[in-house]
Amino acid sequence: MAKKVSEKCYVHLNGKAIGHVADPFAYIKEVKEARRKGVISGEVNVAYLEKLNEVHINTDRGRVRKPYIIVENGKSRLTKELFEKLEKKEIDFGYLIRNGILEFLDAEEEENALVAMTEADIGEKTTHLEVDPVSIFGFTANTAPFPETNSAPRHLMFSSYIKQAQGLYATNFNLRFESRAYILFYPQAPIVTTAAYEALKLGKHASGQNFVVALSTFYGYNMQDAVVLNKAAVDRGLARSMFYKTYSDEERRYPGGQKDIFKIPPATTEGYLGEHAYSKLSEDGVIEPEMTVEEGDVLIGKVAPPRFLEESIGAGGLEEKTRDDSIVMKPGESGVVDDVIFTESPGATRIVKVRVRGIRVPEAGDKFGSRHGQKGVVALVVPHADMPFTEQGIVPDLMLNPHGIPSRMTFGHLLETLGAKAGSLKGTRMDGTAFSEKGSERLSEYAKILEGHGFEKYGEETLFDGVTGRPFKAKLFQGVVYYNRLHHMVSNKMQVRSRGTVQILTHQPTEGKARLGGLRFGEMERDVLVAYGASLLLKERMLDQSDKATVLICKECGSIGYRDYAKRVDVCPLCNSNKLSEVEISYAFKLLLDEIKSLHIRPQVGMEE
Amino acid sequence: MAKDQEYNVQAGEPVGVIAAQSLGEPGTQMVLRTFHLAGVAATIATSGLPRIIELLDAKKMPSSPIMRIHLKESYSKSFAKADEVAKKISEIKMRSIMKRVAENFASGKILVILNEQSMQAVDLTARQAAARLAKELGVETKVGEHGNIIVNTHTKNLKDVRAVTVKITKAIVNGIEGAGKAMVAQEKGGEFYVEAAGSNIEPVMQVEGVDPGKIYTNDLFAMYRVFGVEAARNTLALELKKTLEDQDISVNDRHISLIADAMTADGTLQSIGRHGLVGKKESVFAKAAFEETVKHLINAAAFGQIDYMRGVTENILVGKQIPLGTGSVKLVIKRKETKKKEK
Repeated sequence: MAKKVSEKCYVHLNGKAIGHVADPFAYIKEVKEARRKGVISGEVNVAYLEKLNEVHINTDRGRVRKPYIIVENGKSRLTKELFEKLEKKEIDFGYLIRNGILEFLDAEEEENALVAMTEADIGEKTTHLEVDPVSIFGFTANTAPFPETNSAPRHLMFSSYIKQAQGLYATNFNLRFESRAYILFYPQAPIVTTAAYEALKLGKHASGQNFVVALSTFYGYNMQDAVVLNKAAVDRGLARSMFYKTYSDEERRYPGGQKDIFKIPPATTEGYLGEHAYSKLSEDGVIEPEMTVEEGDVLIGKVAPPRFLEESIGAGGLEEKTRDDSIVMKPGESGVVDDVIFTESPGATRIVKVRVRGIRVPEAGDKFGSRHGQKGVVALVVPHADMPFTEQGIVPDLMLNPHGIPSRMTFGHLLETLGAKAGSLKGTRMDGTAFSEKGSERLSEYAKILEGHGFEKYGEETLFDGVTGRPFKAKLFQGVVYYNRLHHMVSNKMQVRSRGTVQILTHQPTEGKARLGGLRFGEMERDVLVAYGASLLLKERMLDQSDKATVLICKECGSIGYRDYAKRVDVCPLCNSNKLSEVEISYAFKLLLDEIKSLHIRPQVGMEE
Repeated sequence: MAKDQEYNVQAGEPVGVIAAQSLGEPGTQMVLRTFHLAGVAATIATSGLPRIIELLDAKKMPSSPIMRIHLKESYSKSFAKADEVAKKISEIKMRSIMKRVAENFASGKILVILNEQSMQAVDLTARQAAARLAKELGVETKVGEHGNIIVNTHTKNLKDVRAVTVKITKAIVNGIEGAGKAMVAQEKGGEFYVEAAGSNIEPVMQVEGVDPGKIYTNDLFAMYRVFGVEAARNTLALELKKTLEDQDISVNDRHISLIADAMTADGTLQSIGRHGLVGKKESVFAKAAFEETVKHLINAAAFGQIDYMRGVTENILVGKQIPLGTGSVKLVIKRKETKKKEK
């Protein structure tokens, strides 16, 4: 760092200039020493910004800080004696912080530090030592085994997939009313773990299972990241999970003293859904636990006052009109009512929460992922009899296409396959912590264990075709991999529509599952039909199955008219002509004409027979 | 049927849409693939998607213009002769060869101190530079003792002297304005030609030794101006093809030709977009559906325009069958009439 004597070096405290110092380096040294001795708080960070020639001291909240071992004169402050004491648990982490052996750096102070990865890397200018090389990864990233053998993007992808994994997210899930929750039936701790995974005790509430995985194709059913599952394994509970969904409603109060009421709506209610829909409700208007519910069933019966004031006045005060505002199971949803609770809002209105559960058995279309950014969708669940098997009768739970490995460069996936296989034979958990000193020795270690148990050294086994009974010519790589079932499941997503709801404004079909919508036939799809010259198919898509409208157009002036049913004549309101013809146009075009008219432009439509 | 006719497209085939799709799909792959070759600094030219966009927008000047100038037989045989021509073309600016300018307002003279190293690099003497400077600016110049150029402005007006100074720094001391750096290159057949990193073909054609009929530039408008639409069309098609080939994308020549044809069909160079092809569409609805909806509708209202519903977009809009593919055929005899005749 170049020393600038001529300029004043300002000191900023939490972003505000509080003064200036003559020698910033001496000043920073003093502050740091005070912090290390415990004279000032350990949460104070101080940094020199060379470009600005400023000293920044930060004590405010919200800074991300990370612990480092302090290095002085090329020597780590965490000496061997201290380390032994630490192992004997005579001292703890707090002791190290208090005695200036470890300190926390924030982002700004880190810029001034030169951190050595290992003790051997310490040089003349080194200021700190990394507590452990794995601390360059975060919480989630550290739970993956052998990350250093995978390509970085895959590791990043794993870090986002693991957040979608189903598991035992909380042990009190029975008491919680999550809007959506997923609980894996038989969570397992992974056979290949990492130091961070153990430290976080994630094995106590795991989010995956150890699958027997064969790297094999299966009649083309696992092309392009698709995976094939073993039916017998699924029947035994592999990756089976429970899905919980909470529906809730509130007895709202409205200005004018009106309020919602939980009850079975009387048949006179506006929007009454029919007797059958309310048949599962108990007297209080709310469904009972352990009731099997399906789409269209009412979970919470509720009547609300009419939306507009005039309606209640119009009724003449004889009988107050009410509107049905019940919570209904959406199309495609089903399950069993798990629990029902009544509670109160801060505004002293009653709230009902109904939790519905449903078993989600793995099926074609469900998403799975390993800890190496290798995700895939189930394409087929194969009967046990048709699955390949080994000499000993081992049948894989999942078959992964080998083509997915080389281009993604997820060697860790293979290493885990082997490591977990060795671990399961040996009966121990294996260590897959990042940047292990063992390095490539791990491979020979696994090979030794496998060989010792009479297995192939590098995991390839002769498999027999379940369909023909003949051995495959090639040996297949088989082992154990920890797989996560991700929460994207078809049964929660699939939707069909043939005819259905349309938007009020455009008369075109609605969009989205919740509105029973269709799939958009967009511009590029339209271009494809144009390019093919399929003019009638195109017309069917864009008109007949969308917003077809029949309008009457005046033959004389080209404006839109109407049919007078009483007089049984067609009338053009502009020229009073009775010569109109029925024309099929898209409603969107009719709307366009209306909007053009609103701009004081008069469009006229000419027609040919 | 003749063999060539077998391969003709059929009536009603939407060739334009197919061409657009055939060019558009590889375009999506191109964005991510921009490789730079290390080392060859001179050949950094706009390529890939930016270049394609430039071509389809029919930009007035490409962002990296290039000229390939073929020489008359007497010049193309030897390197020395060809280099002679290249030197005449190669554009050198005062700014690139001078160190600094010193003004003497008392005498009205300006001293231009040259950078000998850069002078040597471009093989230019102070005398040559001074002569060209005099010609360009219409001032009196002479070469001073240290190889510097002294410009006499013949005025002592401060403002006028400063104006000349500004002109000097911007002046060209050698070659043709806009021609860029020109270098001799050799063809596989052994013939020498000149390649320049700029484009201004009109004056280049006047240079002695240049074969005026054999100049190529990637500047479409220069080709159009000098050689006509046909040449511009060919240049456009060639440049499109070259850009795609550089990215290892194979598109059938017919699609490229069609696009080049469409852009030059009316005898001028038109861009694809609001100011060009789409803007010249007949249908009001088609134009309104593309860009500037309200503008087109208001114009149509003001001039009482009629939409004859002959295009694709407008027919989809109202919900009619499009006049393409299976929709391009109509019944000539109506059903009623045939029935009458049968009776």
